[in-house]
Amino acid sequence: MNPIIEVQNFTKRYGKFTAVDDISFQVEEGSIFAFLGPNGAGKSTTINTLCTIFEKTEGTLRIDGKDVSTQKNEVRKSIGVVFQDSTLDKKMTVEENLRMHCVFYRVPKREVEERIAFVLELVELSEWRRKRVSALSGGMKRRVEIARGLIHFPKVLFLDEPTTGLDPQTRAHIWEYIVKLQKEKNITMFLTTHYMDEAEICNQVAIMDGGKIVANDRPFELKKQYTKDRAYITTERPEELERLLRAHNLEFVQKPKYYRVDVDSVPGLLQVLGDQKDVITDLEVKKGTLNDVFLEITGKEIREGGES
Amino acid sequence: MKTVFALCQRNLKDFVRNKPRLILSIIFPFFFIYVFSSIFQNEYIENPISLMLAGIAIATVFDVTLRISSSTIDDMSSGFMKEVLVSPVSRLSIAGGQFLSGAVIGTMNGMIILLGGVLLGFRVTSPLTVLYIIAAMVFVGFVFAGFGLFMATTTKSTQTFQVVSMAITMPMTFLSGAYIPVGDLPNVLQIITRFNPLTYAVAMFRSVSLEWGGLPLEQQIHLGVSIEIGNFVVTPMISALILLGFGALFLLLSTLAFMRTDFSKMSRSAGDAVDWG
Repeated sequence: MNPIIEVQNFTKRYGKFTAVDDISFQVEEGSIFAFLGPNGAGKSTTINTLCTIFEKTEGTLRIDGKDVSTQKNEVRKSIGVVFQDSTLDKKMTVEENLRMHCVFYRVPKREVEERIAFVLELVELSEWRRKRVSALSGGMKRRVEIARGLIHFPKVLFLDEPTTGLDPQTRAHIWEYIVKLQKEKNITMFLTTHYMDEAEICNQVAIMDGGKIVANDRPFELKKQYTKDRAYITTERPEELERLLRAHNLEFVQKPKYYRVDVDSVPGLLQVLGDQKDVITDLEVKKGTLNDVFLEITGKEIREGGES
Repeated sequence: MKTVFALCQRNLKDFVRNKPRLILSIIFPFFFIYVFSSIFQNEYIENPISLMLAGIAIATVFDVTLRISSSTIDDMSSGFMKEVLVSPVSRLSIAGGQFLSGAVIGTMNGMIILLGGVLLGFRVTSPLTVLYIIAAMVFVGFVFAGFGLFMATTTKSTQTFQVVSMAITMPMTFLSGAYIPVGDLPNVLQIITRFNPLTYAVAMFRSVSLEWGGLPLEQQIHLGVSIEIGNFVVTPMISALILLGFGALFLLLSTLAFMRTDFSKMSRSAGDAVDWG
């Protein structure tokens, strides 16, 4: 593992209020890393500190080996940022926004044309090149921001709630770009999201709550550790099924139309039921989701689709 | 330096694209010339139109420069400033870009007024005067660009800025001698004009553009291009020095203020100014 982002004992306080409380984590180069958490968990504070906008209170934060407090300009050169709120220059056209960005990041003049064409192609907005930003829809603006965040070829792209407030189709598109970039250009993606299904795509998920990281692992591991698979069994012979389940010490809940059984391993359940196949009429197994993980760890539902 | 020019180019584009604003900023001065020109007729002045034109042209430079250099406040509230802040661009070049934009666009607007003035009988005898006029406009532009950015960085919110800007620029414009001769004002207001930097800009610019630099001091005082304060006479040259001091002070103050401002605490509205997230 080659960490591109290293955070050690990072704390951020506003007066007496502690927004982020002594967190440490690493992000592997070329991976997609997601911050999950309810509003006010400290996600945006962390992302803003990594982007050199906020000053840390304590701790060390490094991106590509450079310190975000003492080597601000070095860090700024190697990151791209897509903020929650639009930061596009609405008075200008899409192309002019991209050109201005190239000036800010000193992209060599002979490469500017090529790069503009490339990023616009990527987010499928080539035809909108000469349109004023104010004339674009919300989803298009977000795509322009992503294009702009990439045009200087950053090592890490920060995305703060990149899909919030967008329709499902646009959300899916944005995820296509993100995954494509990670795969093809090996750009590390650091994002925050409210959407659990989106977090499933990521390589690594850190769950934040009350300024602390309460879990940090691959989605698969998180689910394995914090959730149980749930089996829904329908039967015509309830007494026999109940007897069978009790015999194997499996806890169950009886519902009007089915039995619900929480199991540690699906093969184990299959073995139990295998002996008496004719007892059951139907079996459905649902895997635990990140939402269950979140619920299990924090004791609360994550609010979907809101602003943080 | 590239950033400075790129920002200037951007502001220039925006200025030209906003057609209603562009047309208004050209029509308004001529409207004022029409309304106020009768006031300027007195025994010493042969051509009140030229006097008006010079005054209004420089007042336009003042107005436009201030508006452009303070447009930073729009960029802050629209979020664009955040994009700038996470980029490796120095804040100094952002401030520089705003100053240059203000001076360049202000001068362009002022020149348009004078060119229109040619139709109304404005004349210069020497081609050199044209160069002096442009130089004087650029100078006045930079002087007030600092002032504009200073107002923008210290007020921080769009709504407050509009009120503050009106409260400062309106009296400055009308108590400068550009629209109404200083001598026609009540005594108290006459005293206030002496503290108004725009008064000196108007006096200096009239002396340059109307080619009155060589006139006897007595006559300069009557024409209002030299200003008496007690026993001391502020000649156009001294006016230029006063402006230089004022301009340098505000360019410095605004640059410092701009570099120190914590933009992370600024947002669309005061309500979500602090983001705990």
